Amino acid sequence: MNTAFLLNSIWVMVGAILVILMIGGFILLETGATRMKNAGHIAGKTILTFSIGSIIFWAVGYGVAFGKGNPLFGLTDFFYSGYELKGMSLSGSVFFMFQLAFAGISLTIAFGGFAERAKLAAYLLFSVLFSFFVYPPIAHWIWGGGWLAQHGKQDFAGSTVVHLTGAAAALAATLLLKPRIGKYNKDGSANNIAGHNQVFTALSVLLLWVGWFGFNAGSTLGVDKAFFGFVALNTNLGAAAGSVAAMLISWIVLGKADVSMILNGALAGLVAITASCGFVDTWAAVVIGFIAGILVFYSIRFFERKRIDDPIAALSVHGTAGVWGTLSNGFFATKELATVGKPGLFYGGGLHQLGIQAMGVMTCGLFAFLASFIILYAMKRVLKGLRVTEEEEIIGLDISEHGSYGYPELLLSKQTVKAQ
Amino acid sequence: MNYSTYTEIKKTRDAKVHQVFFNHSQLNTLHDETVKAVVNLAIKKTIDSYGPLPSPFTFFVMGSAGRFEQSIWSDQDHGIIYNGHHDRVKSYFLLLGKEISDGLYQIGYEYCDGGVMANNPLWCNSLSEWNEQLSCWIHEASWKSIRNLLIFIDGRSLYGVSSYMNDLKNYVYHSVHTERLLSGIVSNTMSIKRGVGIFGQLLVETHGEYSEMLNIKDTAFFPYVNAAKCLAIKEKNLATSTISRLMNLENPNRKSFTNYFIKLLDFRLSFSSHTNYKSGHYLPVNFITDECKKEIKKIIKNGILLNQYVQRVIESGD
Repeated sequence: MNTAFLLNSIWVMVGAILVILMIGGFILLETGATRMKNAGHIAGKTILTFSIGSIIFWAVGYGVAFGKGNPLFGLTDFFYSGYELKGMSLSGSVFFMFQLAFAGISLTIAFGGFAERAKLAAYLLFSVLFSFFVYPPIAHWIWGGGWLAQHGKQDFAGSTVVHLTGAAAALAATLLLKPRIGKYNKDGSANNIAGHNQVFTALSVLLLWVGWFGFNAGSTLGVDKAFFGFVALNTNLGAAAGSVAAMLISWIVLGKADVSMILNGALAGLVAITASCGFVDTWAAVVIGFIAGILVFYSIRFFERKRIDDPIAALSVHGTAGVWGTLSNGFFATKELATVGKPGLFYGGGLHQLGIQAMGVMTCGLFAFLASFIILYAMKRVLKGLRVTEEEEIIGLDISEHGSYGYPELLLSKQTVKAQ
Repeated sequence: MNYSTYTEIKKTRDAKVHQVFFNHSQLNTLHDETVKAVVNLAIKKTIDSYGPLPSPFTFFVMGSAGRFEQSIWSDQDHGIIYNGHHDRVKSYFLLLGKEISDGLYQIGYEYCDGGVMANNPLWCNSLSEWNEQLSCWIHEASWKSIRNLLIFIDGRSLYGVSSYMNDLKNYVYHSVHTERLLSGIVSNTMSIKRGVGIFGQLLVETHGEYSEMLNIKDTAFFPYVNAAKCLAIKEKNLATSTISRLMNLENPNRKSFTNYFIKLLDFRLSFSSHTNYKSGHYLPVNFITDECKKEIKKIIKNGILLNQYVQRVIESGD
């Protein structure tokens, strides 16, 4: 066993750990952006669905994504037992853990569209089906030697594979679940259902930001030439630019520096730079992140006006920014860095790469949306509805789905006061 | 006219309000008449239940009523000053205050969220208690006590012995100057909600019942009202309406500031939805002409200029 193999394995294992810690970031993000009565439920179901997703990904998902098969899906390596993988310069188990973490993140993003109104059973069943039928095929197409990989589609760490896939599933869920009670008035105007803890949300962004170094820089899958440092540098610039841009645009348009928008801007910058972090120059990382920060602001307003209730802005942060990030390669990928595919429009590559990127976005987005929609529609029939009853939604999912509150002292004391 | 029930007063008010819908001065005269009718009836009812009035008193209104700039609907802000000392007298006037407050509610004036009503012991006091309380507020000079002082400064006697109110206000003006409190008062009132963005767009509400509407109370009214109030204190001017206060400005743009404020009052009456008290504070910008939008922006910008002027004047003189 040589040193490079060991170092690659250690680095990617660190990446996998950081990415799994991002699940913690998502717990804080989703609980902070929603109400107290659902906090325990959100925290618990996130751990539970990651557990279910892990087992399904081990049993079948990994095989579909990375097994040998055809351009559409893999057919080997089911129930992966830790053996070394041919042609890999790192441990097979480490590579598996890294990929499992990605699948878990995509699933967690998808559940953003379920927030505050879906039955627990819907979470459990969708964890199984998404980790089998939705995420793995797309991972295969782009990273598993599938048909988009053969076209030279660039997605360094998963703006499309992880983020857009998760967001497309979230969109399907949001459309089927309909808005939360109280989100919209009779005249169609939207109410702001404020999250219960903005500090949680801010901490989540920091946790995700740090985790993203594992996500993006870990996607180098090795330590060769310490390229991971450059990827991390681009990642940081993308996040920072996204945050600043979102602050500026909200200040310009709304007249105030909206905190949740600043946080969403940072996340949008991270999502956008994910596809391009290994293919673009640093100045381009700033531009990509900055545009993502502007896009996320308008995207959130767009979905809200369309009466699509997206409590944690998953559609905009992961969907809109994911699309932009993937397309941005078609503009900014440089000759030297485009180890996959061709350089972008601004580097003499013409429209070729942009076309490939657009094709990837459309096919993956459409597939993830349709597959999720069909799965959720079938689940709706089987479960007699994806959504809890109005009464359960009003009392909160902590009590209705789990029988205990995330904030017992506070919420129980409120009930006592009411009863008195 | 003598009424025997609040319903009769409400009927008269509802019948007349349509005739004065677009005339700010007539509308506020109608408000005054309605409140006076309620006070008269409440006094009658209180005398019937608890015996004759124990002492002379004055009933005064504050807030937009005090400033003679109410919209179609309004909430209640009022108080009582009486000339007496016993607890029995206080209890009597508190009961009268409650009767007035409940009567006004029946007519359609919402209760004040902050409890600025004559049934609240803080706002129903004898002359000497008022003196003591005002003196405390001035010496305490906290954010809350200055807020209370500013509310009181808008007080306008509507029934009874009006000199009680003027005497107390003169006392406040005198004390504010001797205690050099003006700059504290200014810093307590000069926070303005932005109404125009850096690209000149109107900054409308983004969520809730009033989405896409401009909150003219916070963005446009308050800058004028508060600036005029601060100057009134500085000039020891007893007038309560913002228009009269602005007319006394020693500023070459006095006339234009006054006209902008009058326009603002007219815009509110013409364009806001007057289904309830709160809706009158919002302007549906999508349904007004570009010309009107330009005017609104000018009004808002001039409100900010007026505030800056007041700050300069007070800082240089305090």
